[in-house]
Amino acid sequence: VSPVAAPPDTATALAELLRSMADDEFVIGFSDSEWTGIAPLLEEDVAMSSLAQDELGHAAALYGLLAELTGTDADSLAYDREPADYRHCRLLDHGRGDWAMTIARRFLYDSADVVRLEALAEGSWAPLAELVGKLLREELYHRMHAGAWLDRLARTAGEPRDRLLAALAELAPDAATVFTPLPAEPALLEAGVLATPMTVLERRWRETVEPVFVHLDLPMPPEAREPDRGRLDHGEAFRWLWGEFTSVRRSDPGAIW
Amino acid sequence: MTDEAPEAPRAAPAPELEAWEVFRQEKDGDPMRHGGSVMAPDAELAAHYAREMFGRRQESVRLWVVRRADVVDLDDPDLLQPPLDRSFKKPGGYVMREKLAAARAQAGQPKPKARSS
Repeated sequence: VSPVAAPPDTATALAELLRSMADDEFVIGFSDSEWTGIAPLLEEDVAMSSLAQDELGHAAALYGLLAELTGTDADSLAYDREPADYRHCRLLDHGRGDWAMTIARRFLYDSADVVRLEALAEGSWAPLAELVGKLLREELYHRMHAGAWLDRLARTAGEPRDRLLAALAELAPDAATVFTPLPAEPALLEAGVLATPMTVLERRWRETVEPVFVHLDLPMPPEAREPDRGRLDHGEAFRWLWGEFTSVRRSDPGAIW
Repeated sequence: MTDEAPEAPRAAPAPELEAWEVFRQEKDGDPMRHGGSVMAPDAELAAHYAREMFGRRQESVRLWVVRRADVVDLDDPDLLQPPLDRSFKKPGGYVMREKLAAARAQAGQPKPKARSS
């Protein structure tokens, strides 16, 4: 028996979960990689590029697990789908924006991702629980980096704080979409893959970020606008990004790299 | 982060970068060796950047990040390269080779191999 095997009814639900997580990591990783060469400082350029690579590495590991589970291929999962078939959350659908947008998105996503990963680390499906344990160790640095920048922008009056507030006004209404319950959630809870419902994880996330937002006098993220469609209806910004990240693959379909 | 009262935003300072020297240890027990330097506005980001420049490929187990301005710099030739002959302070005048060889012969020990560094 392959260590990645799962009972058929659980496998379908697992595939849905893995796809949503892998797409999240892939889309934020690719968005952040757009700073390569144009970040505000040379050192930050290296840092943000390395962080983006980490996220793409996480996506590769999750797509790899999904590929083993479903007998497909990780590259094909990452690059050969139509934009409507991606299941990343709406928080990641806003385009790169300025540096404050990138920092706000990173902070909102990383703080939520850690809560999600901690819940999955206690899950019953060993291949995922083990992988998630490793991802969590790398996310520590990501959170430190985003937290340091959030602090710096929030506490510097004038343009830095104004830009951060504008970025949060655009992004925060979608922050909770990281916890959009999947159609497969009942099956995942039943199988113990997901130890805690997403609605509870969202509350947990709000408790973890509230002290930070209060301390920096920033508005708390509101409830998600359309809680059920938080991973659907990707707009123009994602279609553009999709065109970018699939362009090389589509330039020579079937080529072996 | 704490749950104290909100902190009032400070006025925007000019983003002043300064140099930080980074020392790294390749594996446990190794000496700390100078790796290079990074530019950063404060210790927190200096640590992040040092980690990216000198640790992201798992090439270090420990980093020391030191503000360059905090390094005591000593390059005065009167202190380090005094003009008079100081060769008598070097051990080169004492030839030990024959004495060591004789001592080894007496103890019946072979010459140890060169240590690999």
